Amino acid sequence: MSLLKIDRLTMRFGGLVAVDAVTLDIAPNEIVSLIGPNGAGKTTVFNAVTGVYEPTAGKIIFNGHETRRELTGKTALAFSLVGFITAVVAVILANLETVWEAAVTGNYTYRQPFPWTKALASAQETLTGHWLVPALSGLFVGVTGAWAVWERSRRAPEIAARAGIARTFQNIRLFNQMTVLDNVLLGMDTHLRTRFWDAALRLPLFWRERKHSTGKALETLRFVGLEHEAGQLAENLAYGHQRRLEIARALAMNPKIILLDEPAAGLNPAESKALMDLIQRIRQRGITVLLIEHDMQVVMNISDRVIVLDYGAKIAEGDPATVRANPAVIEAYLGKSDARA
Amino acid sequence: MSKLKFHWAFLLIAAFIPAISPHFAELLRPIFVMAILALGLNILTGFTGILNLGVAAFMAVGAYSYAILTCDIYPFQLNFGCATGTTVLIGLLAGLALGLPTIRLRGDYLAIVTLGFGEIVQDTLKNLDVITKGTQGINPLPPPPFSVYYLFLAFLTLVVLLNRNLQRSRIGRTWIAIREDELAASCMGINPMKMKLLAFSLGAAQCALAGALWASYLGSSGEPGNYDFQVSIIALCIVIVGGMGNIAGVLLGALVVMGFNSIVLETLTNFLKSHQIISSSNVFTAPGNWKYLLFGLALILMMRFRPEGLLPSKQTKAELHHHEPPKN
Amino acid sequence: MSGWEVFLQQLIIGLSNGMIIALIALGYTMVYGIVELINFAHGDLFMLGSFLALTIVGLCTALPVFVVVLLLLTLTPLFSGGLNWLVDRLAYRHLRHSIRLAPLVSAIGVSFVFLNVGLLWGGVPMDVFGLGKAAAAPKDFPVLVSNDNLLGDATVQFTAKDALVFVVTIPLMIGLTWFVKRTRTGKAMRAVAQDQTAAELMGINVDRVVGQTFLIGGGLAGVASVVFALYNNTIYFQMGYRAGMDAFTAAVLGGIGSLPGAVLGGLCIGLARAFSDQYIATGWTNVIVFTILVLVLVFRPAGILGSKHREKV
Repeated sequence: MSLLKIDRLTMRFGGLVAVDAVTLDIAPNEIVSLIGPNGAGKTTVFNAVTGVYEPTAGKIIFNGHETRRELTGKTALAFSLVGFITAVVAVILANLETVWEAAVTGNYTYRQPFPWTKALASAQETLTGHWLVPALSGLFVGVTGAWAVWERSRRAPEIAARAGIARTFQNIRLFNQMTVLDNVLLGMDTHLRTRFWDAALRLPLFWRERKHSTGKALETLRFVGLEHEAGQLAENLAYGHQRRLEIARALAMNPKIILLDEPAAGLNPAESKALMDLIQRIRQRGITVLLIEHDMQVVMNISDRVIVLDYGAKIAEGDPATVRANPAVIEAYLGKSDARA
Repeated sequence: MSKLKFHWAFLLIAAFIPAISPHFAELLRPIFVMAILALGLNILTGFTGILNLGVAAFMAVGAYSYAILTCDIYPFQLNFGCATGTTVLIGLLAGLALGLPTIRLRGDYLAIVTLGFGEIVQDTLKNLDVITKGTQGINPLPPPPFSVYYLFLAFLTLVVLLNRNLQRSRIGRTWIAIREDELAASCMGINPMKMKLLAFSLGAAQCALAGALWASYLGSSGEPGNYDFQVSIIALCIVIVGGMGNIAGVLLGALVVMGFNSIVLETLTNFLKSHQIISSSNVFTAPGNWKYLLFGLALILMMRFRPEGLLPSKQTKAELHHHEPPKN
Repeated sequence: MSGWEVFLQQLIIGLSNGMIIALIALGYTMVYGIVELINFAHGDLFMLGSFLALTIVGLCTALPVFVVVLLLLTLTPLFSGGLNWLVDRLAYRHLRHSIRLAPLVSAIGVSFVFLNVGLLWGGVPMDVFGLGKAAAAPKDFPVLVSNDNLLGDATVQFTAKDALVFVVTIPLMIGLTWFVKRTRTGKAMRAVAQDQTAAELMGINVDRVVGQTFLIGGGLAGVASVVFALYNNTIYFQMGYRAGMDAFTAAVLGGIGSLPGAVLGGLCIGLARAFSDQYIATGWTNVIVFTILVLVLVFRPAGILGSKHREKV
């Protein structure tokens, strides 16, 4: 059974086909590398998988489900609720003055007790015959509006993230002005249970969870070797450490798969070696790794499988040795940048 | 801990002000209301990075709801506590109603939507004169149950505590993350829309609270024109002058901006008039006629030379001073 | 007037006002397209233009009407375009790399400064021009273009004023489209709007192009202010806010950054206002315009002709 299945994914930007009917299959606990020349569409595949971009065509199935909001009974109920409320608001707004005059102005004498039941009856009477049109139009606008808004947000990054897909970014996107610890805590945010009132009134759960989550975050930082930097602002970290922090933040999400976008870029040989070790340890935690990488040393050493993209299409796939020997790959990729090969 | 004591010291001083200078205490009351309003805006603009140009509208919703609920020309006649509570709830719902369809919009679009909302709330209040009494406003309202000064101080303290608790919790952390990088935050599984909507309706509720307090202070709902764009801009000035995202900064901003607006300018005008330095017929010499210019220049110069405000939050300061030009 | 004639009359009024709104909206949309800034001061720039026009009219009472109108249509755009350029140079240019809200807040500040200038300008005892009035009160703008019906005795009015609006605005819009599509500067503008860094690398002076955009946008607001004053014959110092609101709504409605979108949006807003004034109630017109805006943004967040915004990752 595959964990992540990308089925004929196509991404088109205007006239440009960035990804052309790519099909991938990632099994649980694999380390797979996605390689290819610049502009081959690797990052675009990541963006589609993580819901940043909506695919032009094709399906992304993760853990047996498409990574998008499902149209459930609850959603339909929410639509009807929004529609109902808009209808009520529309009826009220359309008849506000007349109803008010009949119910309040007509029944209230200054400083006398207010006859509530009579007022309600007058309101009802005034509404008779004047509610259907605003109610129907309100219902229509509410339901279609809710549907339109929902439809546009079906494929959002948070859906993929909640399903268990974590990622890092090619050009590091940390929360620069937050501490290293806060960055990791943001990664585990979906697993926290502190609600509005817990936080607002500082109820016991708030204190308990703060202690617990800080401990867990520090543990994650220890795993990537950053436990001594916890109090630093993320932007003050060395470049290599920023890459590690991004991985730590992704790991804090407790994902099933982690997508690493050029994790070795800009690292020195010693750091790349440490990175390879880290990726192996991530796999040992039972997490699948899919990475984009230009550093062939890293790719060939740790990958179970290598997939090669060129001009948005898959041109080769297999274990590192096979791919390295593939003439199409050599021509498209290794041949052109022989310095790297 | 020493910082905490500092806060209590401030509160203590504030508590004794009426005893020391009743006049100053009187001047402080509207400042407290504006501080609550600006703190509501601060949740949006300071924490979450959403610009709301229509906070005055939510204040108006609050003031009118409170007035309708308490005034004895209407049958509801709730007491102060119930009316304020209901008003906050109405503010929350108003924020939710405006936020639900529009919160997904890009920042600038949302700013315009809030601006437009500010306009139409005024128009609606004017049009519904059967209910809102048009430009007369709803009055008289019953006076607040006890000393206005302490009541407002208590509400301000509550709001400050609530905002601080939220800021230093998971919720504030996600808000700031959304301000810094919405896409990265959503890739962590955070639903930015949900969090923004929370900020939006919570901010609206605080603005409505400010409106309710304002109405109880005036003894009237005021007229729709009292809640125009300028009020929203003054609130924005407070947040920006004080320091976006920093609660203490916003309080300082309220003191500075409102102090300038309602104390310095007015004193100056009265002084000049009483000494017959200016005549009321010459528009150039009345300081009040230069108010917009001064506010405008303050905004421009602040943005140019000290965009982090007088008392910036650590984060905004860092954001500004180590900001690299965007790469793409 | 028959129902059909009323409709036609409102159509004419709506289109005329819509064209004026569209002119202002073009300034918004051009500036937004290039620096992603809601130039909040744009509406007040428009207001200042009309005050300058009033002053010019006051000074040139001796000249024939035709010459005065031509003078207005050249001097006012130069003034407001130059002012817009200057503001960019002094205020916004320094904020390009600041936090996102900084330029917008700065623009709000500029708008307040303009508002105050308008208040004092209008309040100056302009007895020399025979137009002096209290500061905040609306000012009468002399009727330079006649109100006579060009359609003779027909009940539907199509006046010389309406004609003026179309005669001025339509060629201007065609010219602008040509300018942006064909000229070197126009191409540079489109390049900067698409990708500032790339444009810079190609040797385009981004600051200059942005300045030119502000100049042209401001100039359009200047033309709009003259046409507005001639059409409505009343100006007041707070009108920039209202006009700015309408124009920005128009720009968003049409899809911000798109020139045809701004014109389309302007016409939509103008028509919506006219029909709402006629068939619903004047007091509810703003509410209706706003409701239209929200509905459009719910169903088409990028506006009618706008394109989807995609963040680079």
